[in-house]
Formats: sequence, structure tokens, C-alpha cells
Amino acid sequence: MRDTTWIGRDLPRPDAADKVAGRAAYIHDLSRPGMLWGKVKFSEHASARIVHIDTSRARRLPGVRAVITGDDTPEIRIGFLRDNVALKRGRVRQQRDEIAAVAAIDPDVAAEAIELIRVEYEPLPAVFDPEQALHPDAPLVHDRDASGRPVTSNLLPVSVRHVSGDLAAGERAARYVAEGEFSTPLIQQSCLGTAGCIAEFDLRGNLTLWAKTQIPFLAQRDFVKALEAMGLEGRNARVIVPALGGAFGTGLDTHCYEYIAMLLAHRTGRPVKMLYTREEEFAFLSPRQSARTRIVQGCDAEGRLTFRRIDVLQDNGAYTSWGATYPTVMLIPATSLYKVANVWFDARIVYTNNTYAQAMRGYGNPEVTWPIERTLDDLARQAGIDPLELRLRNVNEPGETTPMGLEVTTCGLRECFDFAREKLDWAKKRGQQRGARRGVGVAALVHVGGSGRIYRSDGGGVILKLDDFGNVNVSYGGVEMGQGLHAALTSAVAEALGVTPERVHVNPTDTATCPWDVGTHASRGAFIACNAAIRAAAKARTKLFALAAELFAPEVARNLEAHQRRNPGYEPPNFDVGAACAAGRFQLASGVVTLEGAPAEPWLRLELARLLRAGHFRGVAGQMIVEEAFYEPPSTLPDWSEGVGNMSACYAYGVQGFEVEVDDETGEVTILHAVSAHDVGRVLHPQALRGQVQGGLAQGIGYALYEEVRTHEGRVLNPSFTDYKIPTAHELAFPVDVHFVETDDPAGPFGAKGVGEPGLVPTAPALASAIEDAVGVRIADLPMTQEKIVRALREQRAPRGS
Amino acid sequence: MSEEVRMPASPEYHRPRSLEEAWRLLEAQPDARLVAGGTDVLVRLREGRYHPPALVSLRRVESLRRIEPGRAWTIGAGVSVAELLEHRELAAVFPVLVEAGRRLGSAQIRSAATVGGNLCNASPCADLAPPLLVLEARALIASAAGEREVPLSEFFLGPRRTALGPGELLSALRVEAPPAGARATFLKQGRVRMDIALASVAVRLELEGARCVEARVAAGSLAPTPTRLGEVEASLAGTELDEATLARARAAAEREVRPITDVRASADYRRHLAGALVVRAVRALTRPEAR
Amino acid sequence: MIDLELTVNGELARVRVEPGARLLDVLRGPLGLPGTKEGCGNGECGACTVLVAGRPVCACLTPAAEVEGLEVLTVEGLVGPGGDLSAVQRAFVEGGGVQCGFCTPGMVMSVHALLERNPDPTPEDVREALTGNLCRCTGYAQIVESALLAARKRREAREGGDRA
Repeated sequence: MRDTTWIGRDLPRPDAADKVAGRAAYIHDLSRPGMLWGKVKFSEHASARIVHIDTSRARRLPGVRAVITGDDTPEIRIGFLRDNVALKRGRVRQQRDEIAAVAAIDPDVAAEAIELIRVEYEPLPAVFDPEQALHPDAPLVHDRDASGRPVTSNLLPVSVRHVSGDLAAGERAARYVAEGEFSTPLIQQSCLGTAGCIAEFDLRGNLTLWAKTQIPFLAQRDFVKALEAMGLEGRNARVIVPALGGAFGTGLDTHCYEYIAMLLAHRTGRPVKMLYTREEEFAFLSPRQSARTRIVQGCDAEGRLTFRRIDVLQDNGAYTSWGATYPTVMLIPATSLYKVANVWFDARIVYTNNTYAQAMRGYGNPEVTWPIERTLDDLARQAGIDPLELRLRNVNEPGETTPMGLEVTTCGLRECFDFAREKLDWAKKRGQQRGARRGVGVAALVHVGGSGRIYRSDGGGVILKLDDFGNVNVSYGGVEMGQGLHAALTSAVAEALGVTPERVHVNPTDTATCPWDVGTHASRGAFIACNAAIRAAAKARTKLFALAAELFAPEVARNLEAHQRRNPGYEPPNFDVGAACAAGRFQLASGVVTLEGAPAEPWLRLELARLLRAGHFRGVAGQMIVEEAFYEPPSTLPDWSEGVGNMSACYAYGVQGFEVEVDDETGEVTILHAVSAHDVGRVLHPQALRGQVQGGLAQGIGYALYEEVRTHEGRVLNPSFTDYKIPTAHELAFPVDVHFVETDDPAGPFGAKGVGEPGLVPTAPALASAIEDAVGVRIADLPMTQEKIVRALREQRAPRGS
Repeated sequence: MSEEVRMPASPEYHRPRSLEEAWRLLEAQPDARLVAGGTDVLVRLREGRYHPPALVSLRRVESLRRIEPGRAWTIGAGVSVAELLEHRELAAVFPVLVEAGRRLGSAQIRSAATVGGNLCNASPCADLAPPLLVLEARALIASAAGEREVPLSEFFLGPRRTALGPGELLSALRVEAPPAGARATFLKQGRVRMDIALASVAVRLELEGARCVEARVAAGSLAPTPTRLGEVEASLAGTELDEATLARARAAAEREVRPITDVRASADYRRHLAGALVVRAVRALTRPEAR
Repeated sequence: MIDLELTVNGELARVRVEPGARLLDVLRGPLGLPGTKEGCGNGECGACTVLVAGRPVCACLTPAAEVEGLEVLTVEGLVGPGGDLSAVQRAFVEGGGVQCGFCTPGMVMSVHALLERNPDPTPEDVREALTGNLCRCTGYAQIVESALLAARKRREAREGGDRA
């Protein structure tokens, strides 16, 4: 691993001071001159025909500036399959369908106006269960597709399959077989900062949208299409990203409220702000998809996996967002978590009249890691092999090409297991503490570590703009949403260019000033940004050194004169500056240009700012240093019908483990100790990295133990933090041993892999394994609530039939 | 329905400095809503769940904020939970109130929430109710006409319904200092630490040696109101609190409570918790170190 | 409408508000102090935590009329005149207690309130004091470490005689 100056150090996060002082500007804090407030009227039925919308009273409310419906605005089709429209016409398919919207002078008037809108519905049959939705007699959520062709089933035309090896042969080779049905719930991302935007048009019809998004450039593309639908062909949509109060996947798609804000802004000629309340965020923003999984896998007498079959059924809800592409990521653990030769994977995604679902951290991975890891424990029990040992017998290794075609360049999974085993005191504790109702468990993960290609371009660009003062202004099109992207990018630019971090300034993300980027997802932000920055820095250094070849010698000659004036009688050492310059032996570090092999005389050091000024102010030859590099990772877009392709430049591995104590009266699970070991390639910024891992771990604990969006006929029953519980500091009151395995991946910037998501992925199965070790209960459906644990304990005490 | 569209009127907000001033306001505006800590009222107002013509804040009425020691202590209804927890003398006499107060919401909520507000909401899950019930607190109800006292057990009539009549307010609680042989504890189960109780239980035992001479048991979130569990008390009183007794007490608790199923928990689980918490509380109170 | 005279961050301001106005809206609106965040509006998340008479409260649950005559301290009030961050704020920067930052002002105020009452808290004291402040990013570990670091900084400053 190469020596570094700034990489691997805890430099202060560039965004931290503003945030602790309350100065960071979130969408909540932004205002525009003349701004109005928008609000949406949502459906009160999950499936109905809209007979009539009466907006007359809302229009008469003083302070209301516009009321719009689908009938009096252009149709804007959105979504992955274009099956959603911003404002619904004639028909609602979910409880949160947008029926009308208002713009008013303040949020209270807007809310009051919404209350005055009356809608007459004719209820239609609905379906809420994905299994039932597949029944031939089930009501169709959509009877036509986006292009108007009739459809005959609720099954989405999105197929992700994978068959490799010989499943039948794998089944024959299996001595032990474990199978089961598992499920993961609908959960809410629970960003502390709720969703919102401001839409504003200039007088030429160009749009600026301040958006809480993770995909500014894909959003721009979608907004430009919407402008076309509004009759504004050839106009621009500029997306500006303010400080984000968390994102976790909520920003991976554009949202109806953004298009509605555009329509209202266009109708009124004034900027329009939309801001969700917490209740709206819970009830009307797309949560993480729920999934039901059937799994069968088997191993031989030595515990080596011989086959794995996984069938997934996903509840898509009424419209299609990126959640429908979860199976593309599910394939990764399905085919590549542990060595397994014969694999079958099939995913069906079904329309229902439930809220349409979207993405969240891990993106399909935890949904499939859950059943894989749970049934491995079952195999270990059957085979009489220690569960951690069984995992090690199947552990992934560098150099491997998995059934999906993932090329494992580096892999520290074994080291992660070793760390977990030691820290959990596994040999002494596993299976040894039943009397104390204590147990330990582990689970592993594999995830994309070098971005994840699900679009034609998986790249991103960085612009470095150097100024007369030696500042380096950095523009990158991905977003800082709290994960520490700007911290990593600052370190990488300082390192790669050779300046001090204080001179590096990362600009706000703005499609008008930043190069294209596919979006901040798939743990790719730092991986792509730092790789692009390294390349841009290399170009900038080449230019700087070309400048130095001409200007270094005259500039240091002036230095020497000044030095000699101050130190009469000073004799410079014998060093041929001209020859060294001609040979191009320049170095740039910490913002100072020097010559390799030169004596350490102060006058032989040239401040970068002086070189830049000398380059700028040289008459007709004057020049600026602005360099751009676009980094496209070395990966391939998989063929989804075959489920094969090396979709990432490298892969991240990790192991998490827990020791728990289970209260067998109340079902309460107390975590005593956690272990989190991750192959991160290389640590760029230890503090930000720990934050990512510990934050993911905390979200995983909520997912494992209590988080669930509860619904009845598509209506959210717990739209508040009063009844949707996320972990507090109290729930995280246990020591976490965090360990980073540095495998120095060749594709990674300085060897680093992306690690935004892994902390969440194996948390639930590791906890489940520990709970099972403690009290012997197995729960297949997340979350493992206290109530479910108590029920399982009761069933355990009174076996069926007694 | 009128075709005229008007903005909703914001309620008047009054801040009397004495009870006398409060009575006058209540007389003038009988539908006015009293505000103590405001933790509940402000949210309900914003949700548009009710539109009182006026709010009468009691925060500045100093007489409601007293804590007076004695054989029977007086705890003003306007005392905040944070103030209650910081009162060292009171904490020494009524440690069970401290146990319950610490489980009431967060530090921020405890700063604002008052003893009276917690009780007057008459929510089945009010955390201070079970311990005050086993302490057999009496509610001091004041009005322009004077003061009356009712046992707290008669104060709760139903969800969000209390014994307060028009023009009346809860001014204080009167709580007798427990005798030397008595000890009490409060247990609460939530989905996470900071939660509305799925079930809560307060148990107060008077012991003579190993024998339980008196048992008082109260429950939260297990019936339409916070309530005493008479059958459970009967199962414990006069026994040596042996395992067979505990099994009977558990069964009695499971039989006696009347929980509901909601988005937080099923009635079945709550019923199970009732038994489990009662047994756990009794065990905690009879452990050697508790004596 | 009612007229109120409020003392916020040591400065007096006169505002005219709806009678039931929340302190949160008065701070973020007429007083121009947007550091106090609204995360839920019903006292569950703690993003709007401010100090009133030294106690942490949710500004979303506090009627503005109730704080008349009392000292209100917001996150902006912890910053010194030259933009100097307070010990708690510096500790959050150094300790990695900040990610998306939306919960941060509330976290900082809860820690400040804790340290004013308990200068030498245990990790358990910190966790207890922060139970009303939700964070979705950090898993709280570096927030708790930041709080303990803040306590050390304040003690050292006191021993050194500096401004905390």
C-alpha cells in the first residue's frame, strides 16, 4: 500500500462546523423571493374511480394562488416503467395517490385549502397481498401499460433470473438440505430531514429545482422530459442539491411532489416550495420494498455448499420505482455470498394497491442475505459443524469468479471472520450460554465495492479549478448526504494533487457546474469521486509541471535574490536548477513545488499560489489550471435475463456478530456486544468510515428488531416516530468492535472500496443467530419483535398438538 | 354549508398568574382548554383535532408548583416531571415516583410535562398513574367554589375522561408517606426504551418478615384507564409470596386486565406482559438486597 | 395576535404572533434563527431542542407565549462573537458526531444542557440525556464520544481558567 500524507487521517469534515453551528442550509431553511407553498391532496382510497373533484372552495380561500388537478394540467409520466403520473386522472391505485395540489402564500393556508377539496370516489376492487395479486381473478392494478397496451396480469414485466451449474446435480450431491420461507418488511428510511423541494422558472421557461435528491443528473433528465410534456421543449432543468438531512435511498428517484411543484410554479409564475411533514413522509414517501423469499440450499457431509435455490416475491405497490430493480442486487448474495456452484435465482415483482416502494441502503441485499444466512445455521446444525466453521469452509477468496461472473479481485472475508471469532470469544460462548439466555451469532455479506452498474454509464466526473491563491475548488456531481463524501474527496484531492486539505473546497452539487454523475447509490460516492479526482489531479499536475518547466527557474531566481539581500554573503549550494527543471524533476506536496534531489534551501521552494499567479499573469500566454476527469469503472452491465455480469469494479465483504441476552418473559433483546469487521480495501477517513459502519449497524438493528411500516388496506397505520420506532442512543448502548481489513484493491482510489451500505446488510441474520443461540427460537419474518419472540418461546414450551 | 370560506381562528391564549384569575377566565370561556406543560395540547391543536376558543395556561400559577413535605405530601399539579425527579427529599420518600418519572418520555418532555398534565390527559398509559395509584394518592380538585378531594382511583373515568367538572382543575395530589415496612416498584415495557407503555405495573408491598401483609398493584395500558388490580392484590396479600403464589398472581393479572390490540401490541401480548411484570415486580421487591 | 418580548441568546426581541404559536416557528421565522430544526413536530425526534431557563425542551411543543421572561438558548447562541464554536460544538466536529447534521443542533443543545448540570457524565448519563434525540446516520457511537470529549474540553477549560 502506498505511503500517504492525508489519506487515512481524521481530517475535520468540511461540512461539520456549519452543521454544529446550525448554519447548514437544508431545503427546510431555503426560501426564494416571492415564494409560494405547495401542498398535495392525497387519495382517501386505495383503489377507486375519481368521479368528481370539487376545488371551488379551496380556490376561494384567501391566500390561495393556484389549485391544480390532473384534468387541468399536462400529463407527466414518471417512474422506471413510466406507469405513474404526477397528478392522477380518473383513477387512484393507492392511498397516497396525488389527486390535486394547491399553491398558497404560506403553509397554513395551503393546508387549509387542501382540507377544502372534496373528492367523490367510486371504490373499485383492490388487492393488497402479492400472492393474491398473482391469482388470475385478482383485480388488475393497471389494465394498460405506459404505451397503452392491455396487460393481463399484475406481474411486472421486469424479470431477473439466474441459472448456473446443474441444480439437480447439486441437490444430489447434498447430504444436508435446509429450506424455508422468509420475509422482510416494508420499512421507512426515516431521514431526520423530511422531503421537499423548491421549483422556480425563469422568464424563458428554464427550471431550477432545489431537490432532496441523490441523483441530480438522472433527475435533470427526468425533469427535462417533464418540461417537454409541459410544452417547454428545449428548456433546461437545473438541479441544485442543498444540505441533505439524510437520504438512505429516498433520493434515488424523482417524486410526484417535485413535478407538482413544477406545475404549480409554472401555473403561478412564482417559486413554489413543497415540504413534507413527518406524517406525510411516513404515509406518502416510498418506503423500502418488502420481500418474501423461498430458499433451499444444501451442503455435503463436510459442510461445503452444493446448491442454492432462491425464489423471491416482491410487493411493488401500485407504481414502479427503483425498488423493482432490487433483484439485480439480490443476485449478488444469491450467487456470490460463499462459494456455491449450482444456483437458481428467480424474482417476481407484483403490482398491488399498496404504497409503491423504493430503495434503501443495501438495495435488495439484506432481503436475500437474511434467508441465506439463516438457513446456513440450519445446515450447520444438521451437519454437526460449528456455524462459523461451516461458513469458513465456504468462504470467498481473492481470484474467484462467482457464478454470476463477479470477479473477486481482493477479498478479506476470512480475516473478518477471524476477527469476529476472537472478539466474540466464539469457542467459549457459542452454544454455551443457554442457561443465561445469552447467545452469539455471526453473519457475512458481499456487496458491490466499486460502484454497481445498472445504467449505461456508471461513471462520474470531477472538475478541479485552481485559483490565484492556491485554492482548489472541486466540483463533483454526486451528493453529500451525511456519509462523509466531501471529507473523503477533500482528502483524496489533497493527496493526489499535493496540496493541504485547507486549500480544498468542495462546491455544492449543481447540475449547472458539476460534471455528470449517475448518482450517489451503491456505496459508490467516494469510490467514483476519488477515482475521478485522482485522474483530474494527475492532469492538473502535468499542466502545473509544464508551467513550472518554464516558470520555476525564474521564480526561484527571484527568491534567491531576496534571500541574498536578507542574508548578505549567502552562497547557494551547488545545484543546477535549470538542468533539474529541464529534466522535469518537479514535486508538488502540501502546496509547495520543489525539485527532486534539491537541497532543502527555502528559496528553492515555490508556493503553488505563486506558480499559478505567474502562469495567470504572463500576458498573452496567460493560462488557468482547470482540469476535468471522468471516471468510468471497469465493470460490465449484466445481462439481466441471464443474471450474469461483473457489475462492479470490486466487491466489499464483511462480518457482523453479536452477543445478546434475551428476556424470556418480555421478549426483549439486549445487545451486549457487537463486532463489525469489514474489508474496506483501504481506509480513506477513519472517522467517516466508522460512522458509516456504525450507522448501518444501527439501521440494521431497527430492521431486525422493531421497524415496520404497518398498513391496513394500503393505509399506513403508524405514520409517526411515536409508533414507528427507530433505535435511540439507549438501544445502542453496547460496545462495538469495529475492524477494517485493508486489502488494497487495484481498482480502488488508494485501494479503497465503497462501504456505505454493508453495515446494515448482515445485521439482522447475525442478531437472529445470536437470539437462536440464546433461547432457541427461530423467527423467519422480520422484524423479530418482542411479541414474536414471546410467541415463539410459548410455542417452544408447548409443542404443537399438546 | 356556508359558501363563505374563512381562515380558522387561532384560540386566545391566557396566562393567569393565580387560580382566582384562572377561575374568572374559565367562567368567561367555559369551553377554554387548560394547558399545563403543553406537550399534548400543541400537537393536538396543529393536527386540527379540536378547536377550543381559548387556551388557559397554568404555567405561571405558582401555587400549582409547590411540593410540600408532611405526613401527607402535597405535590402541585403544575410541578414538572423534571422538578419532581430533582426533589431529593421527595425522591427519598417516594422512590417509585422517581422510577416512573424517569421512564416518562425524554429529558425534553420531562422538562415540560407536569404531574397534573400526565394525569388529566387520562390516558391509560400515563406513567405516573400506576405508582400514584399504589400510593393511594388523592386528587385535590379546585374550583371557584372551593376544593374537594377524590381518591385518584376515582379520578379516571375513561380514556381522556376524568372526574373534573366544569370550572374545575386538578390543583395537587396528596400522598401519604409510606410506612417503614412498605416498598414499591414500577416496571414498564415498551418496544424501545423511550416509548408509550405497552404495559406498565406498579406494585407496593408491606412485608412482615417473609409475609406480605398488604399488596397494592396498579397497571397502565392494560385497561381503559390506569387501574388497580384487586384480584392480583388479593392473591398476594397474606401469603409468603412463594412460587405458587406468584403463579396465582400471574394468572390473576392475566385474567383481570382488559387490554386492547393496536398498532403497538396485541391484547394477547399485553395480557402476557401484565402477568410477567407483576411477578417480576414482586420478585424485585422481595430480593434480599431490596430489603 | 399577541405581542411578546422574548430573550433569545441573550438578546431581546419583540414579536407579534398568533396566540398559540410555537416557539419553533418564532425562532425560525421572525427571529431568523433556522439552526433549530423541525424533524417531526410532535416532540419525538428532538431536532428542535433548545434550552429554556436552562432546561432542554422541544421548541415544537413549547408555546412561544410561555417563554416570555425566560432565557432561551438556541444552537446559534453557543457560537461566540468571532464565530468561535463552543466546546460542545468543537467536540462534535473533532469527535465525528456529525453526519447529515439535521439532528446535530438538537444533539448539541441536549449535550450542552447535560454538561451544565453534570460536568462529568458517564456514557450512560449521556445516552440517557440523548434518548429524546433521534439520529438516523451515526448509530450514536461518535455522538456519545463527542459528548464525553466535550465534557473533557469544558473541564480542562475551567481548570485552565478559559472560557468554556
